[in-house]
Amino acid sequence: MCDCEGAPLPSMQPAVKPVVVVHGGAWAIPVGMSEACANGVKTAAVGAFRVLKRGGTALDAVETAVRALEDDPAFDAGRGSVLNAGGEVELDAVVMDGRTLAAGAVSCVRNIANPVTLARAVMEKTDHVMLTDRGANLFADSVGVATVPSDALVTEHEREEWERHQQYSRGVKSLFNSRWDHDTVGAVALDCHGDVACATSTGGIRNKMVGRVGDSPIIGCGGYADNRVGAVSCTGHGESIMKVTLASRILFHIEQGRSPSEAVESCLQYMAERVKGGAGSSQ
Amino acid sequence: MLAMLPVLVVHGGAGNVPRQRAELSCAGVREAARAGYALLRSGRSAMDAVVEAVTLLENNPAFNAGCGSVLNEHGGVEMDALVMDGRTLASGAVSAVRRIANPVQLARLVMEKTQHLCLTAEGASKFARAVGVPEVPEETLITDYARKRWQRNLQPGSNPVECQMGKMGTVGAVAVDSEGNVACATSTGGMLNKMEGRVGDTPCVGCGGYADNLLGAVSPTGHGEAIMKVTLSRLILFYMEQGKTAADASDQALAYMWERVQGLAGVVVVDPRGGWAARFNSLQMAWAAAQNGQLHYGLGKGEDFTLPLQDQPAAATQNLEQQHAASTHNLEQQHAASTHNLEQQ
Repeated sequence: MCDCEGAPLPSMQPAVKPVVVVHGGAWAIPVGMSEACANGVKTAAVGAFRVLKRGGTALDAVETAVRALEDDPAFDAGRGSVLNAGGEVELDAVVMDGRTLAAGAVSCVRNIANPVTLARAVMEKTDHVMLTDRGANLFADSVGVATVPSDALVTEHEREEWERHQQYSRGVKSLFNSRWDHDTVGAVALDCHGDVACATSTGGIRNKMVGRVGDSPIIGCGGYADNRVGAVSCTGHGESIMKVTLASRILFHIEQGRSPSEAVESCLQYMAERVKGGAGSSQ
Repeated sequence: MLAMLPVLVVHGGAGNVPRQRAELSCAGVREAARAGYALLRSGRSAMDAVVEAVTLLENNPAFNAGCGSVLNEHGGVEMDALVMDGRTLASGAVSAVRRIANPVQLARLVMEKTQHLCLTAEGASKFARAVGVPEVPEETLITDYARKRWQRNLQPGSNPVECQMGKMGTVGAVAVDSEGNVACATSTGGMLNKMEGRVGDTPCVGCGGYADNLLGAVSPTGHGEAIMKVTLSRLILFYMEQGKTAADASDQALAYMWERVQGLAGVVVVDPRGGWAARFNSLQMAWAAAQNGQLHYGLGKGEDFTLPLQDQPAAATQNLEQQHAASTHNLEQQHAASTHNLEQQ
């Protein structure tokens, strides 16, 4: 799917078979939740593929997939997000359009049900690539993206987990490495015109410091899309992903002639060796 | 035999520096390079040196970082900064932080005292309070020059993007210490009249800087959105990984950025053996490099002036100042020429 250079072809004769890949986070999924997660990614992928079949763009497809995952409380993005050290939800998201390298991101935004859609609005309606914190919320107001009450994004399960962690206050890293946390969602797609896109969205790490920004909204870390090479969306220990700029690195290896799976394999291996991080990616 | 290590290179922003500010910028980057290099010579780490150099540039009102930052659309100062340590790939960043005199030092504290890499806005302020970094009144970060430019761009029919090119003065530094460790630091007030909460390339690892002992270190400046779209710092290091020199890798990456997203920027780069480069595709970039007892600096295309860096007795300093004056004159002439060129284009 990485060789998609060339002029867009008429959509009546799709020369490129559209494809979408979604992920719902890299972590050791508790038995009780694995079915909900599997169903969630399936539903998201089916919805996004429908968009592609109708001739929709890769950008529309990844947004559709990630919105579905954000709306699904089984995932740590949108509704179902983890709570930070202050007991609040702060969300990060990115989208990138492989045609033009246009990108949009929000970090640490609150009370937004679908951060991926807000990230797309940043890309399409501002001269900027990233808006953060209150500024991102002011922008949401100005373009008519509705805010939702904080409670609407918090599940009962998460509230309980958070309180449990407050009692046994532990470092974020041990939390992640103990694999009791769920994680970031994302999607990559190739449409029938040969265009690629990626989207990633997350509530971050449970008990994170107020204002913590992970890899997700950082271009080249949480995702990257380039028609000449391919598209990547990452999930895992954000700080490790950032240290090796995982998405950029994978695409660079693909550009060097490796297959997507070889590139991912060697980059995850590299990350494990250099910074001892665990992650997954789809491309 | 030349002593290639240690080496430190700083920049004071890419763009089209107004003539009356050219000398201020050049003097500022020279001072920062001297101070950072002095630390390296005394055996301190590359990380110490880049943070020291960037701190001086933040404190200097001639640059768009710390005191002297540009104002956002609401007249406020929101700053971004990043540091990265090439030994471990450890990195720290703050974005859209307010009322902090030296964001680069706060970024270093994020790296050293938290398990995170980036803290933003109010959360970054909260962390600053927790570790005892004082808040300063916003007024102390705002210069008359910044306020004037902000007001001018509020008027109907103004063109902030064009005006932007007058002072894209993000600051940054890269260094290799005597042990061969590399580090980078970048700090900025961002874009003139930016939206509240706008985050540019600076605090994004791989965009606004990257440092890896195996490859080298990069600190860029310029049009942040373009730098992000091509993850410029990472791109330059990928090219160096393939065997290109710092200068060739920089030129290739800047050309690629222009081709793909029509962006203007500049970079300072070092490799672990002490090779360095200061390259830009904008009209100008104030830069200075210190290595082997020599201070190199420039502003316009192709400029590379040198001054001796050895312990400077009073007489030598005087000498330096005369050279200063001469080179300033030179710069101004070149600036006039290049502006003229631009107008013809």
